[in-house]
Amino acid sequence: MAKTKYDVIIVGAGNGGLSAAAYLAKEGKKVLVLEKHNLPGGCATSFRRGRFEFEATLHEMCQMGKGEHQGAVRTLLDGYGLNVDWVSAEEAFRSISTDPDNGFDVTMPVGVQAFIDEMERAVPGSRESITTVLELGRMLTDGVAWLAAHHNEPSPPAKVEMLLKYHDLMKVVPMTTDDMLRRIGVPDKAREIFESYWDYVGVDSTKMSFAVYAFMTYTYLTQKPWMARHRSHEISLAFDKRIREMGGEIWYNTEVKRIDVKDGAVHGVELADGTYIPCGRVISNLMPHVVFDRMVEKAEVPERERKLMNARKLAQSAFTVYLGLDIPYDQLGFKAYDTFVRSTGDTLAQYENAATIDTHKDYCVTIISEAIPDCSPEGTCMVQFAKFYTEDAFADVSAEDYFKVKDAIAEECITHFEKVAGIDLRSHIEEIVVASPVTWARYLGTPQGDVYGYACGTWDGMFPRVQSGHKLDYTIRGLRFCGGHGTQMDGYSQAYLSGAEQARYTLLDMKEGK
Amino acid sequence: MAKYNYDKSALRGLGVSAFLGEVKLREQHIAAASDEMPQSIFNANVLAKKLHPAKQFVKVARVIDHGDAKSFVLVPDPARGTEEMAYFRAGQYTSVELSLGSATLWKPYSICSGPVDALKGTYTITVRRSNGGYASEYILNNWTEGTEAVISGPQGDFYYQRLRDAKRVVAMAGGSGITPFHSMACAIADGIEDFDLTILYGNRTRESILLREELDAVAARSNGRVKIVHVLSDEETEGYEHGFITAELIKKYAGDGDYSLFLCGPKAMYAFADAQIAALGLPRRRARKELYGDYGDPARSAAYPAASAEKTYTVTVSIRGETQTVSCRADQTLLSAMEQAGIKAPSRCRSGECGWCHSLLLSGEVFIPAEADGRREADKTFGWIHPCCTYPLSNVALDVPTLL
Repeated sequence: MAKTKYDVIIVGAGNGGLSAAAYLAKEGKKVLVLEKHNLPGGCATSFRRGRFEFEATLHEMCQMGKGEHQGAVRTLLDGYGLNVDWVSAEEAFRSISTDPDNGFDVTMPVGVQAFIDEMERAVPGSRESITTVLELGRMLTDGVAWLAAHHNEPSPPAKVEMLLKYHDLMKVVPMTTDDMLRRIGVPDKAREIFESYWDYVGVDSTKMSFAVYAFMTYTYLTQKPWMARHRSHEISLAFDKRIREMGGEIWYNTEVKRIDVKDGAVHGVELADGTYIPCGRVISNLMPHVVFDRMVEKAEVPERERKLMNARKLAQSAFTVYLGLDIPYDQLGFKAYDTFVRSTGDTLAQYENAATIDTHKDYCVTIISEAIPDCSPEGTCMVQFAKFYTEDAFADVSAEDYFKVKDAIAEECITHFEKVAGIDLRSHIEEIVVASPVTWARYLGTPQGDVYGYACGTWDGMFPRVQSGHKLDYTIRGLRFCGGHGTQMDGYSQAYLSGAEQARYTLLDMKEGK
Repeated sequence: MAKYNYDKSALRGLGVSAFLGEVKLREQHIAAASDEMPQSIFNANVLAKKLHPAKQFVKVARVIDHGDAKSFVLVPDPARGTEEMAYFRAGQYTSVELSLGSATLWKPYSICSGPVDALKGTYTITVRRSNGGYASEYILNNWTEGTEAVISGPQGDFYYQRLRDAKRVVAMAGGSGITPFHSMACAIADGIEDFDLTILYGNRTRESILLREELDAVAARSNGRVKIVHVLSDEETEGYEHGFITAELIKKYAGDGDYSLFLCGPKAMYAFADAQIAALGLPRRRARKELYGDYGDPARSAAYPAASAEKTYTVTVSIRGETQTVSCRADQTLLSAMEQAGIKAPSRCRSGECGWCHSLLLSGEVFIPAEADGRREADKTFGWIHPCCTYPLSNVALDVPTLL
């Protein structure tokens, strides 16, 4: 192989790629990060319109915490030495179901006891069962931390310890959220409220592992949801700075056209401008679908990779609306940081309705001004909507109709929310930006504008994935994948963890000469 | 070790074998799947490429002479890989790549034609001769039928947004600032946009009115939804408003009720227009300005440090780890210094707004006029700048991304 300047090339400076690069640079490896856009972060970015700077994607970062409740992701990011002004939200979520018979409108606080109390107030008789759910959540959180400490690959003696200490974790991991909550006897309404977060994990509660969901909810309650004061662009630039300081290089506006795979091993990458950079190790922040369909010689794509892609389902694509309003938050008439608005509390129905433009009426509303009062100039606030399509909803949209379709969906969200909240948004819109799956396809390059990677339901959940992420998956020698499509599932926290995980495996590969 | 206080009965009957078999189960699902190569390109990906091409390779199909301006009808050049023109929102611009001597640069021009024409395969841009506009001068002198050019995809946010703007729009246009409004007028006449547009079009004399017949023609087929009012500053003639586009004049044509004011024109017009907008007491959301074009002399800004001009500094530019040194006058933007030295640095809007030129300031002091500072907050913390609107106050070092 030609001589190379770099130990590892990271393709894509999204959350996973940045984390992998920082991890390796910190370990003294020479890394080169190649990013096709002129900014780092992928989804973790912001954009300006007029006097507003909008957060592109971050709602709530998980596993952060602080002090005695410090989470794994905070530990990881602090370890990289990122200089970020972190801010927490003081509530878990507000959830509104407009179902005429079984609807609700609840604001769920952070803090385990406060959450239980509020649930009891909203659904009398739920206290005991929700307490059990969150105690299981506590056990699962400890178990996940124990597993992480063993890098999800406990040695045979450690496996015995796991069997003793965490056999209950092992019992509930294969259970779906719905089944387990019913088993525990959580009243239907409390169950639907508890399951409100499902949109952030990508599959509804009939497919989502109870363990993963309860763990996530428990960590949100104990560690709070977090964000960066100056939007997620701040996190991405902090990564850029540290990677450079630790000797890494980042090239922007640099598109990788080809990952050179021959005889089952990586030999280098070829840039869109024809430049060839030899290197035997690549970590791809781009999805396997993108890499194998567009960037690797077809004959070199292993059968197992093709089968794995086919066995999986692409996850959600996103639709987002960003509003800069010329009214202060305290006069808006609606209070909550993150609100889910749905026509039913049934998550399976929500998931199925989210398949097409016509049937998907649900959305979540994030008001960053609640968490960061000075995020926009005095007298203004920022409100944004997000909805996630579970199928290829934009399959039939033409270029000619595109702007109209996009604005119609945005209008539907705005008008619906005005009605639900009893407030006026339309007469205060100073800036509006609408991003559709097409926009995400443009910036991320993912199939359909997918933002969550692969649906992580049932057989392909987080637990089986992390156990496969070292030796079973990623079968091309020298090529690993990280990001929201990785073993840790979607979301910022998970992408950062996945980058660190695959960087560590790369180090092991290097040591073992694999 | 019962440190967890949950009701154990909820776990009754559950074993650990399912957990221990999860990886095996996953392998079975994988083994059972098809081994065909799955597709990664869907309609959303195709649309993203169609609507947002990084570059469009075009040819000049026709040149229309307007005296001191020309319109260039651009068509796709399939031989170089562009099959169709990207659809756009009326009011958007395209940046034209120009090679002037050793300099390669991008200049933004509003797309003058309507979106329907894009579907039929053409964009028209209208270029006027102006003082110091060396790029425009170059285009006017060199582009003829058959000239090959490279332009960007549609850019910019200066378009009508029905969820934000009033149903009635009053446009303040000055000189060649008419072009985005001509496009909007076409979009209305073609039924693509649904709003009423009154264009107050300021020129010095009747002679200097650009696109006069084209505007009349589009107004005539707009079903009364597009109105053109000519405002002449240097000439008093019946049938024309005389003077500048003042608050009073705007009121006269806006009438009662809600309206949005859109502004596009030469830089000189903006300070005057700002005073009129203030006098009208319009809320910010009702006044929108197109900002393209170089900021120009930094001393225009009151915050510019005195005694800074007249100096020349050294700019060390690092691109993918390769460094070179160029010189930059104090009143020159870092972008323009790089361009003059033949460095292919990315840019689009040239007004600090779009962020295409986003670069890392490694060392040195710079001046960024507040009104052209389109950076994100974190850019300031971490030292990122937009060279298109940044002036040196000392020797500086930059890390600049390569061209896409």
